[in-house]
Amino acid sequence: MVVLFLYVTHTQAQVVDTPSVSFNGFGTLGIVHSDEDQATFVSSVFVPEGAGYKSEWSAEVDSRLGLQLTANLTPQWSSVLQVIVEQNYNGNYTPEIEWANVKFEVNSELSLRAGRIVLPTFMNSEHRKVGYVIPWIRPPQEVYRTVPISNIDGIDAAYRFRFDDFTNTLRATYGQADKTFPYADETGGWSTGDAQARKGLTISNTLERGGASFFAAYNQFHMTIDEFNPLFDIYRMFGPEGNTLANRYDLDDKRFEVITLGASYDAGDWFLMGEWTQMESQSLFADNRSWYVTSGYRFGTITPYLTYAQQRTHNVSSNPGLSQPYTEELDAFLQSILIFQPRQESLSLGVRWDFTRSMALKAQYDHMNLDAGSPGFLVITQPGFKPGGTVNLFSFALDFVF
Amino acid sequence: MSTRLMVNMWGLLFSLLAGSAGAEVVVVVSAQNPTKTLSHAELGDIYLGRLSRFPDGTAVVPVDQRETSPAYTEFYRYHLEKTPTQIKAHWSKLIFTGRGQPPARVANDTAMANAIAVSSRAIGYLDSTIIDERLRVVAIE
Repeated sequence: MVVLFLYVTHTQAQVVDTPSVSFNGFGTLGIVHSDEDQATFVSSVFVPEGAGYKSEWSAEVDSRLGLQLTANLTPQWSSVLQVIVEQNYNGNYTPEIEWANVKFEVNSELSLRAGRIVLPTFMNSEHRKVGYVIPWIRPPQEVYRTVPISNIDGIDAAYRFRFDDFTNTLRATYGQADKTFPYADETGGWSTGDAQARKGLTISNTLERGGASFFAAYNQFHMTIDEFNPLFDIYRMFGPEGNTLANRYDLDDKRFEVITLGASYDAGDWFLMGEWTQMESQSLFADNRSWYVTSGYRFGTITPYLTYAQQRTHNVSSNPGLSQPYTEELDAFLQSILIFQPRQESLSLGVRWDFTRSMALKAQYDHMNLDAGSPGFLVITQPGFKPGGTVNLFSFALDFVF
Repeated sequence: MSTRLMVNMWGLLFSLLAGSAGAEVVVVVSAQNPTKTLSHAELGDIYLGRLSRFPDGTAVVPVDQRETSPAYTEFYRYHLEKTPTQIKAHWSKLIFTGRGQPPARVANDTAMANAIAVSSRAIGYLDSTIIDERLRVVAIE
């Protein structure tokens, strides 16, 4: 009732431009089954729990709840606070702030925001966590895991203009992000690392006309992950040769560049969408290129959809290793990290049922084909795990908005 | 699924028959508003939050009816070729990034007529039988 009251108050208010506050929410209740019991399928690199090893079924991959307050203070000033509850780096469900920003509309074309804002790397970045508005149970991981973070702390400027029936939005975003991630340490327990992205600059452009939309983005940031750097401190003890290798692969203020192109068309009863992305850096992470294409057809409230996605690495430089004696083990360790990167393709078949207002049920089957020698996006790989196989996922989700 | 399809097709047929029998949803502005025509694309973009001005440059405030009203479904089906579910998904995208809020809503055709009549910036839609001298029907081309 409170929700209803706020909403009614808000809608009455908007006609006469008085300050208003609205409350909205979204969420997903999902379960996923993996047939690979020697490794775990997780939703992102930032969480430890998923389906596969230890538990065939997991409700922790896709489930989340988001709550949002939007305050329209004056016609120019507005503010958004969004809190999301989902699995975090230690497997807990502590609410985290997804957005918290203030927006100033200079005029009808130019707006500025400051605070915690969206990082618009991909076409669906802004709503990648809102299951109700995306066709799938989760965005195609081959593309969306390339840059797994969805927000940064900083500023952005958006310039929107129209010509004929086209609407074009050009956005520049600058800021930084810190994310804690879990990893399995050598004792078999969990450790956590901190990824620090600094000097993040994103230029993105969206061109829309009717049901058609074209997206392009260029993204660069400097990343530091201190937990990986002790390995390179060892390399640096081997003189200039070790230093050169360390500089090539370490994660100390390393520049990453990501380019994304996307297009979508919604004809009303059917839709087609695709994205291509490329990430490059001089680091432990191999350069990769990913893309997906997805399409669906709406039979009334039933929407079957089909997606093909892949991620491949390129420019994989084989570590030349040190020429000095007794370094074979060190070189082998570095080489194993370079080789053990996600390379896979997947075919997904799903169906969405809009059984009532503001709610949808989805069922999705994913067939993932891991490239030879790669674990794909699986984590917590056990000694019995064989890289390069196939993995089948069955997922069910209830998505809602209010 | 085939049963559902049949139901949908009958529903469509019924609404087409009902539509041609008399009731028709028309787009209206205040009689003080000089706007006489809008293109389908302009009307669609106004209601999807992409266009914030009338062709003469003045600000536009779209007004919606309740999602449960027949006029709502008819308006979006006929003028935007979208279902209520698609409209819900569209606004959810904008709401959850703070990029916009859906149009203000009124309870019924009479409330719509009253809301439009008092604001030269407002645009709305209602059953053609409710039109009075305070309102002007906008031709959608």
